[in-house]
Amino acid sequence: MLVRIVQVFAVLNVLLLAALLYVWGRNWWQLRSKHTLGLVLFSAFLLGENALAAYLFILDPTLNVWIHHDQMVPRPAQIALASFRVLQFLGLVFLTWVTWD
Amino acid sequence: MEAALWYVLTGTRGGANRARVLRAIDERPRNANQLAEDLDLDYKTVRHHLDVLEENNVVTDSGDDYGKVYLPSEAARAHWDTVEEVLEKVI
Repeated sequence: MLVRIVQVFAVLNVLLLAALLYVWGRNWWQLRSKHTLGLVLFSAFLLGENALAAYLFILDPTLNVWIHHDQMVPRPAQIALASFRVLQFLGLVFLTWVTWD
Repeated sequence: MEAALWYVLTGTRGGANRARVLRAIDERPRNANQLAEDLDLDYKTVRHHLDVLEENNVVTDSGDDYGKVYLPSEAARAHWDTVEEVLEKVI
């Protein structure tokens, strides 16, 4: 269950960050200001982080087995991994909501 | 104020049109209807942009109930060089 949360929310974060990168990237293309560049880089790096997490925890054969193993990844660690993704998701939902405006 | 200006005009999806609205009312204060017509935008879109700009204290209105006209706020005037910088690139 907790592992599923990690996987699902890593993918959801990738989708939200792709939407943010789209809006900010388009604005940067037009404006070329350091402010919009900052937003582009922020979304690009965090997109990379979540894409990597999605790959490692869903597709990578070694880590995918590891994360499902209760003895190797004790419950507190699973809760932590899931919390990171969910908290990031909540922040990104709000940021996407104000940016899509 | 500068951070708000940058975000409202360049950080969001509707930023470019908000910049056009701001330039139009800087040239001449107008109401939402005139803005929709002059900028060839949907009335509801213009209303929304005006609300966002007003909420962020970028524009202010004349206070009339009906057909109130909008103009740049004091705060926007104080940072007009930032506004110009954005407008120059947006339009």
